[in-house]
Amino acid sequence: MKIPATAHELKCYHTWMGVDGIGRTKVKKNAVVTLEDARENSALVNSFFVDEKFPLMIDSRGIQSISREARAFFTANGRDTNTIAFAILIDSAVSRVVGNFFLGINKPAVPTKLFLNEKDALQWLRNL
Amino acid sequence: MVKKKDDQYIQERTNSILDVIMSYARLEFNVQTEVSANNDVFDSIAAGVNMLGEELENSVVTIKEKESLLKEVHHRVKNNLQIIASLMNLQAANSTDPVFLELIRECKNRIDSMSIIHEMLYQSKDLSRINSTAYIHHLILGLESSFCMSNVKVDFQLDIDHGIILEADRMIPIGLILNEAISNSYKYAFPNREGVIEISFRMIDDFYVLLVKDNGIGLPEDYDVNKNSSLGLQLIATLAEQLDAKLLWLRRDGLGFEFRFQ
Repeated sequence: MKIPATAHELKCYHTWMGVDGIGRTKVKKNAVVTLEDARENSALVNSFFVDEKFPLMIDSRGIQSISREARAFFTANGRDTNTIAFAILIDSAVSRVVGNFFLGINKPAVPTKLFLNEKDALQWLRNL
Repeated sequence: MVKKKDDQYIQERTNSILDVIMSYARLEFNVQTEVSANNDVFDSIAAGVNMLGEELENSVVTIKEKESLLKEVHHRVKNNLQIIASLMNLQAANSTDPVFLELIRECKNRIDSMSIIHEMLYQSKDLSRINSTAYIHHLILGLESSFCMSNVKVDFQLDIDHGIILEADRMIPIGLILNEAISNSYKYAFPNREGVIEISFRMIDDFYVLLVKDNGIGLPEDYDVNKNSSLGLQLIATLAEQLDAKLLWLRRDGLGFEFRFQ
């Protein structure tokens, strides 16, 4: 996932809104994601459109670890979110385990699917 | 040379992950295994083990919180029952009517038989089940104390299977049954002021068999238990139904009851 110049840079993420109306967030290489990072990124994502809901593609391939609190926060249960679906890219050894664990244990409130490549992820989000 | 280096790497990573798994098995969650920047298969396993540890820790904490709450509930129930018993004692202190005092004692003993169960529950590690031996001993001590002024000398002969551990729901009717039967014996069975009460609680052919019997004067031969039963004897029959037990009245050489239930 190529990071555009307009992307916002956070401690663990690069996050931006695509011209196609799909939000994108890319986990930095070897990022250790905490609840604080999760909240910061979520606030940024929600600021893209205030009145409109949109899907989000999450490139988690660089992730090293994510805390339990952050995983629980990302389920979107009981919190305000403008996102309607998550497509998570997991094409690395650690991200595969993290992604599958997240889906298996945390049960996100919005439709969520794991993908090994960006093309399939985008296609799924566009067809929602 | 490369092979040896690989073997050493595999060994080290495996041991490191195994150490953490063993810690989690001991419910020690203050450790995590390293997830390196290599992003290899060991890192993926390590990441999974770490997340599993976090989930386990959360579950253990939740269970401990629930146990703590349950203990508190048993403690409060026991305290409330004791407050009721104390209020009864206060009422009794203002009366010299022997009938009223006897009624108060009967009610207080019934309350005590339930209170003991809640006391044992919050003091034990198992918050739902009661050891029958300890409970029956505790119950008898309370009844001996309650009837000490009656000057009846009772020899309790106990034969209780130490392995019988039952849920509180079932132990409460058992306690009330024993309370009624023993109280009945103390009051009516021994005009000579001494006797034997035999209590047996065993497993026989997949059935629990509870027996409580005295060697006292028993009921008159023409006494119809279905027509003339006292509240205590009616309670025994009702509690037997609650236990789904088959009740056998033993009217030879005293009075006794046998309960057979699964």
